[in-house]
Amino acid sequence: MEFSLNEETVILRDSARRFLKERCPISTVREVLSGDAGYSSQAWRDMADLGWLGLIHDEAYGGFGGSFFDLFVLFKETGRVVLPSPFFSVVLCGLILGEAAGPDQKAAWLPPLIEGREIWTAGLLDERGGYDFEAPSLVASPAGDGGYVLNGTRLMVPYAHAADRIVVCAHVRDPASGGPTLFRADRSLEGLSLEPLDTLSLEKTWAVHFDQVRLSSESVIGGVGRGAEALAGVWPRATVLKCAQMLGGMERVVEMTVTHVKERRQFGRPLGALQAVQHLCADMATCLETSKLISQQAAWMISEGRPAIMEAAMAKAWCNEAGGKCAAIGHQLQGGIAFTEEHDMHFYSKQARAAELTWGASWLHRRAVARGMGI
Amino acid sequence: MRFTFTPEQEAFRLDVRDFLEAEIQAGVFSTRCADLVQPGNREFSLKMAERGWIGLTWPREYGGQGRTYVEKYILMEELFRVQAPLGYHFAGDRQVGPALIHFGSDWQKEHFLPRIVRADEGTVFCLLFSEPEAGSDLAGITTKALKDGDYYVINGQKVWTSGAHQADHGWLLARTDLAPESNRYLSCSEFIVDMKTPGITIRPIVNMVGEHSFNEVFFDDVKIHRNYLVGRENQGFKQIMAQVDYERAGLERLMQNYPLFVQLKEYVQTLDKADGGAEYPTWARDQVAQLEIEYQIGRLLCYKTAWMIDQGATVSSQAAMCKAFCTQYEQRLNDAASRIVGPLSLIRRGSSWAPMRGDLAECLLYQPSYTIQGGSVEVLKNIIALRGLGLSR
Repeated sequence: MEFSLNEETVILRDSARRFLKERCPISTVREVLSGDAGYSSQAWRDMADLGWLGLIHDEAYGGFGGSFFDLFVLFKETGRVVLPSPFFSVVLCGLILGEAAGPDQKAAWLPPLIEGREIWTAGLLDERGGYDFEAPSLVASPAGDGGYVLNGTRLMVPYAHAADRIVVCAHVRDPASGGPTLFRADRSLEGLSLEPLDTLSLEKTWAVHFDQVRLSSESVIGGVGRGAEALAGVWPRATVLKCAQMLGGMERVVEMTVTHVKERRQFGRPLGALQAVQHLCADMATCLETSKLISQQAAWMISEGRPAIMEAAMAKAWCNEAGGKCAAIGHQLQGGIAFTEEHDMHFYSKQARAAELTWGASWLHRRAVARGMGI
Repeated sequence: MRFTFTPEQEAFRLDVRDFLEAEIQAGVFSTRCADLVQPGNREFSLKMAERGWIGLTWPREYGGQGRTYVEKYILMEELFRVQAPLGYHFAGDRQVGPALIHFGSDWQKEHFLPRIVRADEGTVFCLLFSEPEAGSDLAGITTKALKDGDYYVINGQKVWTSGAHQADHGWLLARTDLAPESNRYLSCSEFIVDMKTPGITIRPIVNMVGEHSFNEVFFDDVKIHRNYLVGRENQGFKQIMAQVDYERAGLERLMQNYPLFVQLKEYVQTLDKADGGAEYPTWARDQVAQLEIEYQIGRLLCYKTAWMIDQGATVSSQAAMCKAFCTQYEQRLNDAASRIVGPLSLIRRGSSWAPMRGDLAECLLYQPSYTIQGGSVEVLKNIIALRGLGLSR
């Protein structure tokens, strides 16, 4: 057991924190969120230049061959500054390509993604908000020429408007060799349309409609019928990166709130001198520490190439609830001012809520834990 | 970062496990919940002593093994997994030894430490801290220790003293500076007292489980030689605060009900729709998965605290967080287990109808004590807020 970060990881964390503090201060976040793009293209280029998009990919594709744990640490830092950007979506698509794509596809598709030349996103939620990997409602009918015709809708697709490519999992209706299959769809394809969704999420989010969208056979990522398996393989990593983001958010909420209760005076003394307030602060600190331990464990196991399905599920199930609790206490203790637009707290509670509800609510992960326990 | 144990640590764990399995096979003890409070088994402690497993982290010069706290926790985890009978040496190993190593005189170290490590006769300790008017507010004690030549004369009353009726020695906190203007945190001292000294009266208290586990202890002109003063006069409160950091985060706070959790997992495996429709097994599995998550987090908190102690870090806030979390987990385990099992949870040991050998009923009875003993959750949260987060009083 060794609970301190490696020296290189500390250096990476500190430089990421400095970069984000300089280039993505909360004033930038506010600007970005009120603009149409929903992210800062300058910051995006910087992140690509820093190598964040290809951190864990092979050097052969322009990546850095870094560890998953380091990527986890980066996501935690982005969570601290509630960075609105397609970072998660692009990294997720990179993970999907890494898991499912053949060598030629990786060689062709990963470099532009890693260099930040192309923005990728994934549309994985069905019309009821479920991850329907096993039986997607999105349908890909064989077109006869070896290609497919895609019909259906994906909801809550982050940054679809900015994306060059959208990854989806569609059901190939082919009795011979069908099943859930991953596709890469160009956003500019005919029949693909976007419907803006006004959501609580800090990510710009869209409904993506596929109406007779024609895809070539080369658009299939990996093999036909392999989509569910590939996404199941990516699932623990994606969920743990969401945990990292929540963790960063929780860390800032604890800092903000503790600072507030130290400075804010009522009844002739700091709020933080009241035991009712102190106990809530202790609860927050416990939420943070426990979330950190359980998600660091999962990230480390993944990094070491060990099985981590249980660990990832435990982490997400726990962080979901701890993140929500932290945000709730953050609001409670900072009072009316934190309910205003001008205060930063609402960014953190929105991020916490969005992260909690995506990539599996707690019951779903507890079900995975129960299965892993064999009960 | 490393979330695994070294090969040497894994080998050590297996050694301990093999030993314990052999002991169980030989009928030395059986695994049941809540036995930590039972009187010890010196024969068992002698076997542990033979293996160097008492005083594992203590310096070699006092008979210890000079090993890490992480290793100590590995040992304890295996012991608690099967609820081994540790009572004989538990207080000496966990509390008295580390405190003496920090604050004891040379004579005290040379006298007591090797004896505890060997599980000699006369090394069962009890802790004489709480008083009727001083529970969470330990600095409020009124038991007096008045200096009289080479002796201190003790008068007063202690309460909630676990195992006082079986102990050879007591670890006593008493007030040595009685001046009204004295600082209450700088006026107490620690002593070791022979429980057979004239003037000590022990009265049993029966707890709500129906067992005599703790006591009231009365001191009436009890004389203690000054050689038995531990550390510096009037520094006792500070010394205790430093000591409890080491014992707070122990795995005993997480694993007192471990056999219950094991049985609950087995119980839930057997559920099917016949037991109340599809909802019931689904709900029960969700509950048990949540407990598993909390258990694993509690375990990480314990090992992190052990690791921090090994690094020489200050652990007061971390240890407080660990204990608060773990004891609340144990209560949730009892809650969930009883709600899953239903009314038969109430049947106590001895009946063939008692589910889980009656462990469940026993644990339910002990449940309120977990978040009180050794520092209530509220006091622990104060420590996290004040020492961990830097809030002011």
